[in-house]
Amino acid sequence: MTIFPRGFGLTLGVLALLAALVAAPLATILLDTAGSPAWREVLGSNLSRNLTWVPLKNTMILGLATALGSVLIGGFLAWLVVMTDVPFRRTLGVLATLPFMIPSFATALAWGSLFRNSRAGGSIGMLEGWGMSVPDWLAWGMVPTAFVLISQYFALAFTVVAASLASLNGDVVEAGQMAGASRRRIVFGIVLPMVTPALLAGGSLAFAAGVSNFAAPALLGLPVRMQTLSTRLFGMVEIGQTERGYILAMLLIVVSAVFLGAGNRLLAGRRSFATIGGKGARAKRMTLGGARGPLCALALAVCFITTVLPIILLAAASLAPQGSALFSNWTLHFWVGVSDPAFARGQAGIFRNPQLMTALWMTLALGVGVAVVSVLIGLLAAVVLNGKRIPVLTEAVSQLAFLPMLLPGIAFGAAYIALYGAPIGPLPALYGTPWLLALALVAATLPFAVQTGRATVAQISGDVDEAARMTGAGFVRRLFAITLPLASKGMIAGALLAFVNVIGDLAIVVLLYTPQVPVLSVLSYRYASDGFHQFANAVTLVILLISVLATVLANALKGRGK
Amino acid sequence: MISIENLTKRFDTAFAVEDVSLTVPEGGFLVLLGPSGCGKSTMLRMLAGLEGPSSGAIRFGGRVVADGRMSMPPEKRGAGLVFQSYALWPHMTVAGNVDWPLKVGHVQDRATLVAEALKMMGLGALAERYPSEISGGQQQRVALARMIAARPKYMLFDEPLSNLDATLRVEMRHEIARIHRMTGATAVYVTHDQTEAMTLASHVAVMRAGRVEQFGTPEDLLARPASSFVAGFVGTPPANLIPVRDGAWFARLPDAALRGATGHAMVRAEDLSLADPGPRTVQAELVEAIPMVGRRLVTVRADGMRLSVVAPAFGALPDVLHVALPAAPAAIFDSEGKPV
Repeated sequence: MTIFPRGFGLTLGVLALLAALVAAPLATILLDTAGSPAWREVLGSNLSRNLTWVPLKNTMILGLATALGSVLIGGFLAWLVVMTDVPFRRTLGVLATLPFMIPSFATALAWGSLFRNSRAGGSIGMLEGWGMSVPDWLAWGMVPTAFVLISQYFALAFTVVAASLASLNGDVVEAGQMAGASRRRIVFGIVLPMVTPALLAGGSLAFAAGVSNFAAPALLGLPVRMQTLSTRLFGMVEIGQTERGYILAMLLIVVSAVFLGAGNRLLAGRRSFATIGGKGARAKRMTLGGARGPLCALALAVCFITTVLPIILLAAASLAPQGSALFSNWTLHFWVGVSDPAFARGQAGIFRNPQLMTALWMTLALGVGVAVVSVLIGLLAAVVLNGKRIPVLTEAVSQLAFLPMLLPGIAFGAAYIALYGAPIGPLPALYGTPWLLALALVAATLPFAVQTGRATVAQISGDVDEAARMTGAGFVRRLFAITLPLASKGMIAGALLAFVNVIGDLAIVVLLYTPQVPVLSVLSYRYASDGFHQFANAVTLVILLISVLATVLANALKGRGK
Repeated sequence: MISIENLTKRFDTAFAVEDVSLTVPEGGFLVLLGPSGCGKSTMLRMLAGLEGPSSGAIRFGGRVVADGRMSMPPEKRGAGLVFQSYALWPHMTVAGNVDWPLKVGHVQDRATLVAEALKMMGLGALAERYPSEISGGQQQRVALARMIAARPKYMLFDEPLSNLDATLRVEMRHEIARIHRMTGATAVYVTHDQTEAMTLASHVAVMRAGRVEQFGTPEDLLARPASSFVAGFVGTPPANLIPVRDGAWFARLPDAALRGATGHAMVRAEDLSLADPGPRTVQAELVEAIPMVGRRLVTVRADGMRLSVVAPAFGALPDVLHVALPAAPAAIFDSEGKPV
């Protein structure tokens, strides 16, 4: 074995794992469609207008609207929290990151419970119930979809822009004042150029997230036949036109990856705003004077409308028998009621529905299993990345581990069907088993897990471990006395966040789901598409509750970790 | 010339700077020296024009630039400031950083001035780099180049060396001294490092709790410290401050030279020596010994306090030593720290 460098086996093993999880599915959709007539049908036939170009146009419009809206709202909140003396700064800072926790189908369902009109059939929302007439553009299609996407993804822009603003220390501005630059000149010559990369990066992250989203256009666009690449690709795979679906998936990957790649470049460029020269004076906060109250109220309103209000609406809508009267005649029927032919077409409450109970356990099991496996693979990958570099192989591990970040969930789902949906040699087809979902979810959470793993490995491999080695402690002793106690909190917190991602995911699992392997998010989506909104809302609330608990737990662990 | 009269700065109710008066001649080098929180940075910011005084006046060359009612904006004062964090603009190249203030000031023939400043700081080869692509020491040079390009008559430095490692700190100290000599500008320099102060300054203002404890040349401070605080702050090593009570060293060795004082006697390291036990010695235990300029600087612990003693470079040092007291202390301070 001496001809191979140390760690060669491990690197090769991790690489094989990543190849199976990430590279193989992608290669499959490429190979399956190579030379297929579907390419011409999708891109250059009389079908392609409806099949591709209109959905692509809608996708781009939604992506741009999401980017613009997210940067405006996220940038505004970041400026308020970081640069000004607005009251409740810390609270606002926390509120602005909450949308990460809320799955987008929750916000989309809440929108429906308020604005739904009779256009698509089924029950109406609260506003129509009050006798108002809700125009179609407000009830369905582009506007509500864009709203839902923005209210979800402004948190991305907020995080990126706030980090950049925080690094703009007071000295940099005062150096401009020393030069005699006017306020205007300082804003346009110094402050804006310094935050522009972050604004653009935040925008491109929101763009990529917006075009990849499936739940919002599916719930709010499909009923009025507004198609995006993600809903179109879902439809194609559902009706068995898989090759067309795969091509659309590749198109979607390209659209999303181009913008994400551009964003990452901006953040890491040579003009990057990484702090230069260490500590400086704390930035002076801008005094808002009379605008303090109104701006604070506006910011709180934005956070309330995007995170708290949807939850309240969902809760009310899960209790009200009439969608048109959300706050009257509340009943627990949709939660625990027995089947009653006079009520909701005989559907029993969700906790009496055996499929839901199966889905609940299935979702929890998937969440826990995927989180644990993913964090372990992430740890192994981090060890490889941190160790001695082996030409080509180490680089391949790094690229493959972070590739899923560029892949829209639904395109990833399509690729998994393509590879693991059919038997491979002696291996049985995984379609219809939980394994298919588990594999896809593990792959999708990998970038995050590797990040967690790297932080952990960095903690372990340094002086701390060497200090323990100096005492003569053996490997096993160090593992249990030093490494695990140090690493466990970070890893558990990482696993919990992966868990939250898994149970709130719809885009990946919606294509892989079968009635034999029900999961909560798809169940909620199915209920909603069938017009059983109360049940959908109730199931969504269950997901939300689990997410919140896990997030709180993760934050508590992180807080105590340092 | 910079002259400061009764300068006071209040934040809410607390005094950051209280009733400071001093004058530095044209081409002088004033160092504001003191521990953190003593008000030295606030002083500098008032000189720069980034803060306005609450009362008192600042004159640059006879012209009032700030008093209790007005504060002239920075660019009108002909002053440049080097920040502790360098405050380079990360989105501009090295040359861009040096050029921008000139551009803002509508200065003629900028290219020449920029090239000169870069050359003077040895940055010619790095002109097109961005700040994130050069080392910390180079960033510091860029900050200096940015200041000198505009040929300010007054150069202000806010702890410019505190983010550098020890070797670079010495090198940049020499650079700053060189720039000061070459430009002939009047400099004001804030630091908490007395070595920087003693090597760079023509005048030092030792500050404590918003007030100037002593203002004078470095030699003044060493030879005639105005308080026990100054005596214990300047010098390498700083002088020993030995507690005395009712005219007795350590409250137990009476000595007429102490003139019955209670407080501290200032004794420089070179005035103490190691000796055999005797009536004017105190017993001490060895802490450490550093070879220094052909001799040894020995630190010992006696009566719970550390003393610095100069000793010959050779010979064994036992664990228990005896320190001989001088015939008279260099100065005596009362319990308030005032000279007796």
